[in-house]
Amino acid sequence: MNILEAKGITKNYAQHTALKNVSIDIPKQSIFGLLGPNGAGKTTLIRIINQIIMCDAGEIRINGELLSPKHVKVIGYLPEERGLYKKMKVGEQLMYLAQLKGMKSAEARKRIKHWLEKLELSAWATKKVEDLSKGMAQKIQFIATVMHEPELLILDEPFSGFDPVNANLIKDEIFELRDKGATVIFSTHRMESVEQLCDHIALINHAEKILDGSKKDIKLSHRMNQYEVIFKGDLPERPGAFQVLSREISELGMNKVIVEANDKTASPNDILETLISDIELHSFSEVIPSINDIFINIVKGGQS
Amino acid sequence: MNQILLVLKREYVTRVKKKSFLLATLLTPLVLPALIFVIAYFATRDKEERDEQILVLDESGYFTDVFDQSGYVFENITGSLEEAKASYAEKGAFGLLYIPEIDLSDPTVRGFEGFQLYSKSNAGFRTLERFEGAIRGRIEDLKLERSGLDPVVIANLQARVSLETFNLTETGEAKASNSGVSFGVGYATGFLIYMFIFVYGSQIMQSVLDEKSSRIVEVIVSSVRPFQLMMGKVLGVGAVGFTQLLIWIVLIATLSTVGVGILAGGSDAMMEAASQQMPDTEMSLTEQQELAQDIRSMVASIPVVKILLSFLFYFMGAYLLYGALYAAIGASVDSLQDAQQFMFPIILPILAAIMSMFFVLEDPNSGLAVTLSMIPFTSPIIMMARIPFGVPDWQLALSMLFLIGGFVGTIWIAGRIYRIGILMYGVKVNWMTMKKWFTMKV
Repeated sequence: MNILEAKGITKNYAQHTALKNVSIDIPKQSIFGLLGPNGAGKTTLIRIINQIIMCDAGEIRINGELLSPKHVKVIGYLPEERGLYKKMKVGEQLMYLAQLKGMKSAEARKRIKHWLEKLELSAWATKKVEDLSKGMAQKIQFIATVMHEPELLILDEPFSGFDPVNANLIKDEIFELRDKGATVIFSTHRMESVEQLCDHIALINHAEKILDGSKKDIKLSHRMNQYEVIFKGDLPERPGAFQVLSREISELGMNKVIVEANDKTASPNDILETLISDIELHSFSEVIPSINDIFINIVKGGQS
Repeated sequence: MNQILLVLKREYVTRVKKKSFLLATLLTPLVLPALIFVIAYFATRDKEERDEQILVLDESGYFTDVFDQSGYVFENITGSLEEAKASYAEKGAFGLLYIPEIDLSDPTVRGFEGFQLYSKSNAGFRTLERFEGAIRGRIEDLKLERSGLDPVVIANLQARVSLETFNLTETGEAKASNSGVSFGVGYATGFLIYMFIFVYGSQIMQSVLDEKSSRIVEVIVSSVRPFQLMMGKVLGVGAVGFTQLLIWIVLIATLSTVGVGILAGGSDAMMEAASQQMPDTEMSLTEQQELAQDIRSMVASIPVVKILLSFLFYFMGAYLLYGALYAAIGASVDSLQDAQQFMFPIILPILAAIMSMFFVLEDPNSGLAVTLSMIPFTSPIIMMARIPFGVPDWQLALSMLFLIGGFVGTIWIAGRIYRIGILMYGVKVNWMTMKKWFTMKV
């Protein structure tokens, strides 16, 4: 079951194309990484989902229904460029934002109280935002994003500007929300930072989706038949089995090499067999590509 | 609609709760008259308490005891002008008035010259006028005396005439009109609209700019359409202005009723004092009552209800028309400094209206007046200046229709610029970019 299905989304500006025929399915209760370099079109896609801007072509469905103004309540959005009314009191501000999301004031008051207590900000409810530290303001922004219990959370570069303590706190809250049934979209250009968080990923580059799927499937399909080998002795050339990509000295002063199987169908056991006869083997492990590596490989492959 | 109301409510409540709003609203009707009173008080007190010495060197011998202006002490001296100048410095007097020998033997001579006033600092315009008046009066009296005319006959020759004016309606009904009152009302209402556009227009701009620069706007527009946000803001700030206006009207009405009551109590003494000071304009008690009656009929001569209703309409129309433009500018720029270059074209028609208002008040039915009262950018100020003098209903209706078209138009244009502008940061904005945003699809 997908909470969000985007089909053929295209957005053109006068000078450039921001999105070209992008289709994405986001499974319910997943943590979905929308990854790509700056300027790839991530924020444009997010703004289209938030109905801040319209797409030129394509359609978006939420829970199977075409995107419409009523879905504003279903979505919680933390933009990359975020702020608060500096002169407004924390409690009043959260109340205003909650009402804009369609909450009744009694219900909103309860949730605001709950969240302020949870993030240890109760004492600040009647203080103005300008009196808050940056970290506290970030927590308030997070509360504003989640207090109406959205089914779909969209976080654009959520950890930029967060200190490590707050970042971990927010990560924990996000997992908790996911466990309670929410779906989370992470958008970031720092792919390594969310790699361990996401279970689904879409890569966007130059306005086009170049890859998507579950993280596991992506990694499986992008295995490079490379292995890291730590050993004592001399490793002879075995052109029939593998080639050595790099050599260095390990922490314990042993040799460390990366080898790649020449026969793509060769199993690790085949490589291992060859190695054992030649060297004293201390460690043998498959090199799992990072999302960043996969992205670079695909982009390079696309160019060549 | 609900979203517009929420935005409106926030704009309204945060503003009205501010101490500065309370102060400005309560103090302006008190401070302004008080300020005028204080300035007037010091101006008169200053004059009275400064008993400065003026030496009078009168070679003609006609001007003994002619000068008795308050604020000055006159001392007659003799000798040559050179000696007088020397003693003037010695005595530390404020001024030296020199009156030469004058020849009154020829009654046809009308120009008299050679009168001189020496002073340490420049004497005021009024002082000079009073000295001149005193000298002229004395010479005229002397000439009358010589021509053998009886001063009583002369006094009886003076006549006072007042021209009553009426507006003749098409049905032949004559309505008393009064240009003075119409002028005052036209000027005041036009100016009020002008002031409110400025004050509240820039508040809208500031508010939009704050949302943009604090980066909250993207959160807001994820729950509210940009157009709703803009309209809520314009209407919310407008409601604040309207509240302020209403409080002012109530306060001023109350204060002036109380004030008139106090004045009426002390008016007998004042009238007495006034008639003593102005022997030329002596008024009997019945004449005073007639004047009071006149004032009442003057007020009745202007179409009060029509003015009030039109004022409300033009006030709101002008506010919406310009408020939307201010919102568009606020959305387009990143800082107040950047906004300056776009302000001028907006201010221009308002300034043009204010400047033409004087010509319009002089001739409310001229081609210029009619044209400017039709153009939505100037009509609120110009039409309000014209209405007290009487405007044909078809012109009023047409002007209102154009104004509605005008603010619907500017709101539409502003809305299109606004929706793009609020999400643009660090863009070098000029008229071309604004035009591009206007035509851009979201």
